[in-house]
Amino acid sequence: MNAVETKQLSKAYGVHQVVNGMDLTVKKGEIFGFLGRNGAGKSTFINMLTGIISPSSGTYSLLGIEAPGSEVMKRVGVMPDYSSFYGSWTAMEHLRFFSALSGSRASKEKCLEVLRSVDLLSHGNKKTGKFSFGMKKKLGIAQAIIHDPELVFLDEPTSGMDAESAILIHRLIRQLQEQGKTIFMTSHNLDEVEKICTRIAIMRDGVIDKIGTMEELRAFYRSTMTVKMKHSSVPKHEQTRLKQWLESAGTLLEHEDAYTVITISNEKKIAEMIRAFTQCKADVLRVDVEEPSLEEIFLDE
Amino acid sequence: MFVICKREFISLFKSIKSIIMIAILFAVSYYAAKFSSLLASGVELTAGEAEDIHTIGLLSVILLLGQLFVFGLSHDTINRETHERTMRFLVTRASRSAILFGKFLGIWVFWFVCIAVSFLLISIFSKKFDLFIFSQTMSLVTYQAALAVLLSVLISRPGYTMFLGNILGLLLPALGFWAVFSPNGWVNWMKFFIPFYYLERDDFTFLVILALAGLMMLAADAVFRRREC
Repeated sequence: MNAVETKQLSKAYGVHQVVNGMDLTVKKGEIFGFLGRNGAGKSTFINMLTGIISPSSGTYSLLGIEAPGSEVMKRVGVMPDYSSFYGSWTAMEHLRFFSALSGSRASKEKCLEVLRSVDLLSHGNKKTGKFSFGMKKKLGIAQAIIHDPELVFLDEPTSGMDAESAILIHRLIRQLQEQGKTIFMTSHNLDEVEKICTRIAIMRDGVIDKIGTMEELRAFYRSTMTVKMKHSSVPKHEQTRLKQWLESAGTLLEHEDAYTVITISNEKKIAEMIRAFTQCKADVLRVDVEEPSLEEIFLDE
Repeated sequence: MFVICKREFISLFKSIKSIIMIAILFAVSYYAAKFSSLLASGVELTAGEAEDIHTIGLLSVILLLGQLFVFGLSHDTINRETHERTMRFLVTRASRSAILFGKFLGIWVFWFVCIAVSFLLISIFSKKFDLFIFSQTMSLVTYQAALAVLLSVLISRPGYTMFLGNILGLLLPALGFWAVFSPNGWVNWMKFFIPFYYLERDDFTFLVILALAGLMMLAADAVFRRREC
């Protein structure tokens, strides 16, 4: 059973098509990362799946149930992109109210446990009107998981948080996955997505531009890797032969006396390259292989 | 729905505005009932009117100021949450109908408690609890609460509903009496949509007011289901 499945899901405001016929499947137990520039349609897509807005066309299912109603939503946790709370209520009051609304009526112990998991234990009885932006984000995550949901939507969970808190949230997200929950998250932090997500989709202009695991994306994006080699000087009479070989192996970016940078398409070529240098009487001193980062993939038009 | 109803009910009791309104309601009920015998002695009344004299003060307050009271407390029951985006936490957990009717029920129960206590205060002097007038009063409050919810759904800015609520709160009683008593056909038709016409009679026509409230809630539900939060 898939945790999320959409078929031709679209949202238009007048003539402006924000989400354009999205087909997406998220399997149970995944940490699915959703990337895109501002205005790409990420939040609109999540808002459709969570019932905040209704789609213009298309269908979707959550936890295997088509057109999910409030009963399914009780098994889903949502942290919307902009979290605003009742300023005169404490964090504890929020958690108790939201859990009751989800039909689970969390005990005081459960509320405290969830507050501890987001590092808000000492602020449980403070009114949220006095909370900082980062604390509100944490409470947003706490309310999304208070009723022990099977599927959790987190819209930019760590934006505005300090590094220490962000690491804590990453750990929490991994723990949720270990408990068998599915996480669907958006983020602008590419490092974060690269580190914790098991699968990633990049959205551009209302459609999914790229999707896959980090490895698949790298392969999809550019079937090349950059190899930087430090080597001893190549004897003059071997230089032409080596250069010809390197040019046939990949794209030669830099080729100096003791330093060569080349992009190649196949990992096996590295070993062949080392052999070619040896045959041309040069010793390879160091090899660095750079694969495309998520940032490069993300920025690639 | 009941979780939202309970929260709405409790939050209504917590504001200063509501405490002032409850105080006005109780004071009017108490003193109108206490001095009703003085009023009765000065005016010629039918047997039925003399019997109802104790509740006249309360009924007059609800007729003339009830809409203002209900709007004052609940004009932003839906649009405040949408405006401040707290609604997002609700719509991802409960159906929109459950939110809407839960809020309406919370408002209704609040007024039910306030008016029931007022009638109990009156009953100390009148030595009876007039269930018929109590039902009439509650039908009026039901209408007023439904209108407040409908406006709060239709108008997205809480500031606008506050302004419109105050205007309507003052205008509606005047319009109601004008529509009932005016022979002008251009005005007269409105009486069917305003509760005062149905409260004139001493029969169960006041139940029409509940039907009007039901229609307003259905309209509010239809709009709210399509509304983005």
